[in-house]
Amino acid sequence: MNATHDVKGALDGGTSAVSRRQFLAASTVAGGSLVFAFHVPLAGEALAQPASAEVNAWVVVHPDDSVVIRIARSEMGQGTLTGLAQLVAEELDCDWSKVTTEYPTPGQNVARNRVWGNFGTGGSRGIRESQDYVRKGGAAARTMLVQAAADEWKVAASECRAAAGVITHRASGRSTSYGKVAAAASKLTPPATVALKDPKDWTLAGKRLARLDTVDKTTGRQIYGHDLKLPGMLNAAIKECPVFGGKLKSFNATAAAGRPGVKKVLQVGDTAVAVIADTWWRAKTALDAVIIEWDEGPNAKASSEGFDAILKAGLNAPQAAIGNQNGDALAAIAASARRIESVYSHPHQNHATMETMNATARYTPERCEVWTPTQNGEAALAATSEACGLPVAKCEVYKLHLGGGFGRRGMSDYVRQAVLLAKEMPGTPIKLIWSREEDMTQGRYHPITQCKLTAGLDGQGNITGLHMRISGQSILAAVFPQNVVNGKDPIVFQGLNATGPEAGIGYTIPNLLIDHAMRNPHVPPGFWRGVNLNQNAVYLECFIDEVAHATQQDPLALRRKLMANHPKHLAVLNAAAERGGWGQPAPAGVFRGLAQTMGYGSYVAACAEVSVSAQGVLKVLRIVAATDPGYAVNPQQIEAQVEGSFAYGLSAALYGSCTVKDGRIEQTNFHTYPVLKMEDMPKVETVLVSSGGFWGGVGEPTIAVAAPAVLNAIFAATGRRIRDLPLKDQNLKRA
Amino acid sequence: MLPFTAAAHNQGPGRTLVSLERRHLVVVAMTGWLACARQVAAAPLPDDLAAAIAAFADGMPVREGRVSLDIAELVDNGNTVPVSVAVDSPMTEADHVTAISLFNERNPQREVAHFVLGPSAGLARVSTRMRLATTQRVVALARMRDGSCWSRTVEVIVTLAACVESEL
Repeated sequence: MNATHDVKGALDGGTSAVSRRQFLAASTVAGGSLVFAFHVPLAGEALAQPASAEVNAWVVVHPDDSVVIRIARSEMGQGTLTGLAQLVAEELDCDWSKVTTEYPTPGQNVARNRVWGNFGTGGSRGIRESQDYVRKGGAAARTMLVQAAADEWKVAASECRAAAGVITHRASGRSTSYGKVAAAASKLTPPATVALKDPKDWTLAGKRLARLDTVDKTTGRQIYGHDLKLPGMLNAAIKECPVFGGKLKSFNATAAAGRPGVKKVLQVGDTAVAVIADTWWRAKTALDAVIIEWDEGPNAKASSEGFDAILKAGLNAPQAAIGNQNGDALAAIAASARRIESVYSHPHQNHATMETMNATARYTPERCEVWTPTQNGEAALAATSEACGLPVAKCEVYKLHLGGGFGRRGMSDYVRQAVLLAKEMPGTPIKLIWSREEDMTQGRYHPITQCKLTAGLDGQGNITGLHMRISGQSILAAVFPQNVVNGKDPIVFQGLNATGPEAGIGYTIPNLLIDHAMRNPHVPPGFWRGVNLNQNAVYLECFIDEVAHATQQDPLALRRKLMANHPKHLAVLNAAAERGGWGQPAPAGVFRGLAQTMGYGSYVAACAEVSVSAQGVLKVLRIVAATDPGYAVNPQQIEAQVEGSFAYGLSAALYGSCTVKDGRIEQTNFHTYPVLKMEDMPKVETVLVSSGGFWGGVGEPTIAVAAPAVLNAIFAATGRRIRDLPLKDQNLKRA
Repeated sequence: MLPFTAAAHNQGPGRTLVSLERRHLVVVAMTGWLACARQVAAAPLPDDLAAAIAAFADGMPVREGRVSLDIAELVDNGNTVPVSVAVDSPMTEADHVTAISLFNERNPQREVAHFVLGPSAGLARVSTRMRLATTQRVVALARMRDGSCWSRTVEVIVTLAACVESEL
């Protein structure tokens, strides 16, 4: 496999590859104007072949038979470059060992009427949303390549076969390769319709193929935003008002301006101050020397305690938006023989990507270019255009790999800042990197919610009614209020919906009411990997466990009873429970907990094994996780995603909490916002239950079962029902 | 979801395929595409939008022209999108714009704004901000004093952020 995703420059048309920290810039000046300043092509070494052909938007074939597959979604560790390439290559019938990938640019996509579709990378949608059109792209290219060979041989295309990039005409014994007919194929009219393979016939998709980007990442050759270097580039650090909603009142740059390497100290918008210097550390330390006075605005005294009171009030508020309802839950609960009621909460959390937010921008009055790790290249392009004032056609965004995204890099605030800075120094590339402190305190946080669950039981312990009242933040109200419908944020109910292919509840409850009292503290919420599925799974799965224990039922047996009408949910639960040894004796001191949910089109379940010492020290030992994503495009990548989901989900469950005092986030770095250490990582066993017939995502749903499975195991171990996260703040000594 | 159509994949003569060795010429090569970037696909308008436009036209034919619609073709967030409509009109007592209306394709309601104008408006130009729930076409219509109706349609791409489960 050739190396993929080099970052290259094009000085005088050259294509020399560059190493990670020797990134070269390139300018091709024609007619006195900057025609093309830079690009971040992603393919291997064969860029200069004379007769390479774009067979269609997805597929470029070189004369040496190497194939470049274009991928619109952003790679942030989830393996989408490899998975989507497998789908294209499967239909293309090319030689996988000759495949590389590249990103088309957002500007090209807009200019070509969005031929590559949506660039947005999130919601576990990479495979499931684009599988249809990328497979058709591969199939159409194959059809055209075969037709080109048939035309050359003057035979019917139906008599020709393609395999591994070679086209053969059996009757005459002739054969040719994709590279030889690509130029002719590119001139053909694409087929109006193409037939896609039945997944049971796949030879590349569905296989455990190695990732295309492992070598570059292992050798350090991979360029991330922090690594980027352009000739003449300056570096910038920024501080935005730490109180959300506040503004910059004044700043005194006297001390900072005279420091070595400092080029400019300047205001950015009406909320931030930045320093531009020759190196980033000089910019950062000079910024620390700037005396800034903030107008902290109306939220200057806001605190987490205040939010708690606001959300508590919502738990009993008369008005709430209904997300799922059948029967009359309130009446059933009122008439029940026994009631169980619990209140849970979920904190604000930061995405805490390994690579802090960053973007590099170069502005001239004619053109503005941005290099940035982004989950949404088109949004970054829109933000660039808006910030610099040039039309989209005069802007371009070159996507770099992400050192973590988790939803944070779907927002383009850092891109906007970099462009505003670059506009102050036309012609000079400005690389803006957020300090860790800035990254921690200017997040778009996992929303806070609380949930009161009330179950009514009959004399035999059966649930006759269930009311889930969620109180708390709406992401859509903050980010896309135009999508709040009749006061209801529909995505608040992830995993709790009545039906649908996305995130349906796995239980049948005779009388059910799930509603949401929207309460929006001033901390800006955002999409945080797994989004609302995470806390909803904690609420429901722990409460089901509570009901099971309160009624002396086995938690698996109770779930099976309630899930009889939800066979796909039940199948993954059974798979996790069986492989996890549920019902079998656990080793001494080891206790198990279960959880299941559905989200992003997939069904997931986990069986966690934990121990808790007499001093209350938790050790998560082993997790068996079952996933049904319908079709599995690369089982190895699915396993990696599932394991990563526990690294991320357990970080959140054990440590993840952002608290607010005086209107600002208190946690400023990893000393107060820890993440899971390697020694804390349990053994994860993934059970892939690919039942076929649908396309589910795998990047997010499993996160949601991490916390509740562990919380239920902690209860089994200690008798303590933990209803508030993170666990680091809880007493786990045996009750 | 991107519909897979022959047209979407056909680069056509004169817009030859971007081969990799010419990658650094992409910007030049793309000028041909840029010229048509804002052309609106010829897909028919949905029934409810067509009905809203017909109600505005009140029986008069709606013709393309005379109206310019200034709105970003690509927006980061459809929450607050500036939009301006100008109409080629002398704005005299005898010949002026009497109304400008904005319609959309995929918001909950088809009507966005209705402006009443007269010769004392001076210029046939209005500006406001609108919300766009998602990628869609925006239609501006103007009615002249003689009852004739003119329109301009623009497609706006709204780049929704990550981690929503499906397009909202």
